[in-house]
Amino acid sequence: MAANFWTSSHFKQLLDQEEVDVVNPLDKEKGITLEDFKLIKMHMANYIGKLATYVKVRQRVVATAVTYMRRVYTRKSMVEYDPRLVAPTCLYLASKAEESTVQARLLVFYIKKQIPDDKYKYEIKDILEMEMKILEAINYYLVVFHPYRSLSQLLQDAVLNDINMTQLTWGIVNDTYKMDLILVHPPHLIALACIYIASVLRDKDTTSWFEELRVDMNVVKNISMEILDFYENHHKPINEDRISAAANAALSKLALKP
Amino acid sequence: MALAAPGQLNVQELPSWGSRSVDCFEKLEQIGEGTYGQVYMAREISTGEIVALKKIRMDNEKEGFPITAIREIKILKKLNHDNIIKLKEIVTSSGNERDEQNNQEGNMFKGGIYMVFEYMDHDLTGLADRPGLRFTVPQIKCYMKQLLTGLHYCHANQVLHRDIKGSNLLIDNEGKLKLADFGLARFFANDHGGNLTNRVITLWYRPPELLLGATKYGPAVDLWSVGCIFAELLHGKPILPGKNEPEQLNKIFELCGSPDETNWPDASKTPWYNNFKPSRSMKRRVREMFRHFDRHALDLLDHLLALDPNQRWTAKQALDADYFWNDPLPCDPKSLPKYESSHEFQTKKKRQQQRQNEEQAKRQKIQHPQQHARLPPIQHVGQAPSHWHGPNHPMSNSQASMSSGPSHHHYGKPRGPPAGPNRYPSNGNQSGGYNPSRGSQVGGYSGGPYPPQGRGPPYAGSGMPVPGPGPRGAPGGYVGPPYSQSAQYGGSGAARGHNSMGSNRNQQYGWQQ
Repeated sequence: MAANFWTSSHFKQLLDQEEVDVVNPLDKEKGITLEDFKLIKMHMANYIGKLATYVKVRQRVVATAVTYMRRVYTRKSMVEYDPRLVAPTCLYLASKAEESTVQARLLVFYIKKQIPDDKYKYEIKDILEMEMKILEAINYYLVVFHPYRSLSQLLQDAVLNDINMTQLTWGIVNDTYKMDLILVHPPHLIALACIYIASVLRDKDTTSWFEELRVDMNVVKNISMEILDFYENHHKPINEDRISAAANAALSKLALKP
Repeated sequence: MALAAPGQLNVQELPSWGSRSVDCFEKLEQIGEGTYGQVYMAREISTGEIVALKKIRMDNEKEGFPITAIREIKILKKLNHDNIIKLKEIVTSSGNERDEQNNQEGNMFKGGIYMVFEYMDHDLTGLADRPGLRFTVPQIKCYMKQLLTGLHYCHANQVLHRDIKGSNLLIDNEGKLKLADFGLARFFANDHGGNLTNRVITLWYRPPELLLGATKYGPAVDLWSVGCIFAELLHGKPILPGKNEPEQLNKIFELCGSPDETNWPDASKTPWYNNFKPSRSMKRRVREMFRHFDRHALDLLDHLLALDPNQRWTAKQALDADYFWNDPLPCDPKSLPKYESSHEFQTKKKRQQQRQNEEQAKRQKIQHPQQHARLPPIQHVGQAPSHWHGPNHPMSNSQASMSSGPSHHHYGKPRGPPAGPNRYPSNGNQSGGYNPSRGSQVGGYSGGPYPPQGRGPPYAGSGMPVPGPGPRGAPGGYVGPPYSQSAQYGGSGAARGHNSMGSNRNQQYGWQQ
């Protein structure tokens, strides 16, 4: 993937955090709080990641799928767009957009096989139908820029591209998709924040390197703080089962499927 | 909800998100057959603006929204250039056959999805095929320059078009040329590491490396097509009208010489080289064949039709060619004459009618003395003969009237789609008339034997037997899974040089794209 982030639809679509943190009125009626909202999205990001391991697609596809999912919920309610269907459908759509097509029946097969909860079971036709609704919800903007691309370049430039640092920062970037950062910040700044955190954790002095970059360090530090807060709140290492249980409890408020 | 309420038209301005209904437009007439659906000329009701609506066929699609449409949308949303068609928006229709009120949730998209494009009056093939029309040299330079400029922009943005041909080059009455139909386009990585399909580009415009099975390739593939179009414009007819892959390759070698250590050192590394390498060595005859072209044109052509993709000129190199910087200079697009709208789809239909008339005439043993073939431009620079339609020549009535209606007598050699037998009289199927039916677009000719494949898509070797005298070019042995979508709506270009991507594009669904 190519071209320029600054001229992209992705850039033009960046939102403020306040815009992202709005629970749709229809969901609010059902008693969904902002905490529930975030939790469900995080759980769905995990779910997408899990499905991706079954159908074997790259992390990039996961990242794009999670971004679609998060974009959908800036505009649509969870009552109308069941997250348990939106999540696999976003993965399905992202796999096409990222040129690693996964067949719908394969996705359905793995959901049936691997997910014991009946509320997650959907058929091929459900996915195909939801795909159309998602395309419309995201207004056919399919191109997503991710921090991964800048990451390797930046690490190389900072001479931090040893395996240890690369893996650590890569992991932190993966974790950022459990938040809405990708809707709010340009990807290279997210990458820098992850490098910043990793270098602090590993005691690498990157002060002068960061100073030479022409970026607003305040933004980078703010993003870093958000990431660190997130880790703090969720007791790193993140316990997916706990999140899953809590998210499912929140989802039950929506009373979507019998 | 962006969809209009039942019974009402949605005429609101562009919503901030979501999509409007196709009911905002009034369809006027069909102007083409896109890669995956029909193209209509339409009027936006609220503004009166004329647009082109390209329908994305959704039924029969086992894998939801077609990946080709996803590619095209992704790419078009990213490209923003004067010489590239602009995707204005995407609209949906709820499908007429359904009860509108029950449509809110369920199958509301079954009706279809349309891409809305700016309307362009002509495509290059449609325009070039207008009876009696002759491009001038400055006009050709002007189109070529715009084509290369648009392509350079694509390549700079790491997009390969992969279906450059006349019917995908749209021209408006301001003389502006725009690249269209990005249904086969895709992003490429600079390292060419990608495993790309070699089953792209309409046969007549397909470069030798793809015919030899390359799956790692780059922008050079588009430049070969440009070379073919350039020569076609100057020569007056397609220069490499192969009927099938082996013949196409053979025609290329006959014109450009057989690959050797100097003209294409890496040729022997291509997957199918051993299957296709010519039995005898052939000499390059480009300069001899086209000796009537002027020096600079010949020089440019020679570099565009380089066998070796690494030696082929890039769009940028081509734009720097002396051809564009020597007299006569490319003219200003705005100075070009305005023509009554012409699209290949329509000229094809007209020709079809003409064919029918001709058949009838033949049966009545009436001889038609006039023969029409596309006229090459006048190559001599400077002196314009009296019949020269100069760049400032106003639209002539005779021209306009000539193009319309089947009544006039410009029959003769129809430079029709290869999908029709009449292009190849040797087939002894003269009476068939060319058949633009979909069936004939799908695959290739069932002609010559095709050696077994070392790798790549399993397209069956030698052709299938052709059932009956009907539409030839029954699927040329591309045995693919029955994702029939694209198969039925092969590229518009299926018309000219069959676009083998028909069925087999989907065959590769999911890999090697």
